[in-house]
Amino acid sequence: MPINNSLIHFVKESVRPYLVWSGLFQSWDMFSPDPKSVNSYLEAVVIYSDGTSQLWSFPRMELLGAKDRYFKERYRKYEENLQNNDYADLWPDAARYIARLNSDSTHRVQKVLLVVRWSDIIPRGDNSYDRGPWDVNVFYTYTVKPEDLQ
Amino acid sequence: MNFRIVPDAWNRFFFAPQSPTPVALFRILYGVVVIATLILLRPDWLAWYGPHSWVTLSTMQKMEPGMRLNLFAVIPQTNVAIETLFWIFLASAILLTIGLLTRVNTIVVFLCLASIDQRNLHILNGGDTFLRVAGFFLIFAPAGAAFSLDHLIRVRRGRESSEIPLSSPWAQRMIQIEMALLYFVSFCWKIQGASWIHGTALYYVYHLDEIQRFPLPQWLLTPAILKLGTWSALVMEFSLGVLVWIKKLRYKILLLGLIFHLYLEYSLNVPMFQWDVLSAYVLFIDPGDLDRVWCWMRDRVAVHRLKRQDATE
Repeated sequence: MPINNSLIHFVKESVRPYLVWSGLFQSWDMFSPDPKSVNSYLEAVVIYSDGTSQLWSFPRMELLGAKDRYFKERYRKYEENLQNNDYADLWPDAARYIARLNSDSTHRVQKVLLVVRWSDIIPRGDNSYDRGPWDVNVFYTYTVKPEDLQ
Repeated sequence: MNFRIVPDAWNRFFFAPQSPTPVALFRILYGVVVIATLILLRPDWLAWYGPHSWVTLSTMQKMEPGMRLNLFAVIPQTNVAIETLFWIFLASAILLTIGLLTRVNTIVVFLCLASIDQRNLHILNGGDTFLRVAGFFLIFAPAGAAFSLDHLIRVRRGRESSEIPLSSPWAQRMIQIEMALLYFVSFCWKIQGASWIHGTALYYVYHLDEIQRFPLPQWLLTPAILKLGTWSALVMEFSLGVLVWIKKLRYKILLLGLIFHLYLEYSLNVPMFQWDVLSAYVLFIDPGDLDRVWCWMRDRVAVHRLKRQDATE
């Protein structure tokens, strides 16, 4: 609940460990307090040990068919969290997973760069919608170790 | 002033015996949505929960330290062990749905649900949270007292009459409260946001590429309609959280809630969330009404059978 006073805070902190342990923790803040006002998606630049590279894309819901969108929706949620700096601890695992997906015995991945692309949703004065220009940012670089590929 | 009014009302609400048919029906719907959730996850069981998954167990434990009810922390971190856990989970969800060894399976399903949620918190939506919390209270409910193989077996063995015994509905009430809380807390969060108050929130939601499902007619996406939709969503969430407790309004609000969720299911890609929440609507139906519908259906089937018998003779 979005209520912040010392009593509520005390109660919350007192019961929190029990709720977390038992799985009864919960939060109901979808699209709130305000929905996202930006479209974004993730990619990875995969650099191989022979110097070649390729662009690998996370599943993008808007490019999938209706059935795949149903099955792959967890990726949307995961990508939303992955591009959040508060969850930077997720980045090495993601880079290793992408390295394994793109490696084989002859073509070894050396580096993985995680890239976010985003475009603002801009409301116009005449109430119509405009898509802002796409920006890009490399937010994480991981050097792959041999043991990561096993 | 009668000081017994509040405790009496409390006792009536939580403990006055009533027919367990709503919670038994909820058990079936709940089982179906858990099975559907597992099937949708099936191609990625190991990608999300395996030893070399997108988020490893050690990363999850580092990010969310402390004691947690999580079977993944105690089973071997191998593909075979993890897939076995999922197959046990699926089998248990099927048994729960048909009502065989109901109590045991409510416990197994809750343990498995809590474990997969704790194992990877970064892929969850509100539907998963609702299933987990409702699953906890389902453990204590007389979920196998009706519409179940358990009940059928007990009747066949002469341990129970075919009449469904009344029981205390406190666990059902807890799931109802959980559902109402879901809407009310969502409402409270939303009114903190300027876009919900100004009526522009849905404008952004329906321009997020990643979350669209099927196309909507253009007139529904005009700013005026989206503004109306934004405020209607607030009214709906408040009504389903608060006004749903008023008996006279209940069925009308549930019907509007059903339409609201079906609209979201068509237009937004949040798989299972709408069905997870809708499954609990049945708990708000009066057991008497549910029994009447059940009798009506039974009579229709009996008449249909008789007619078929007559036709063949």
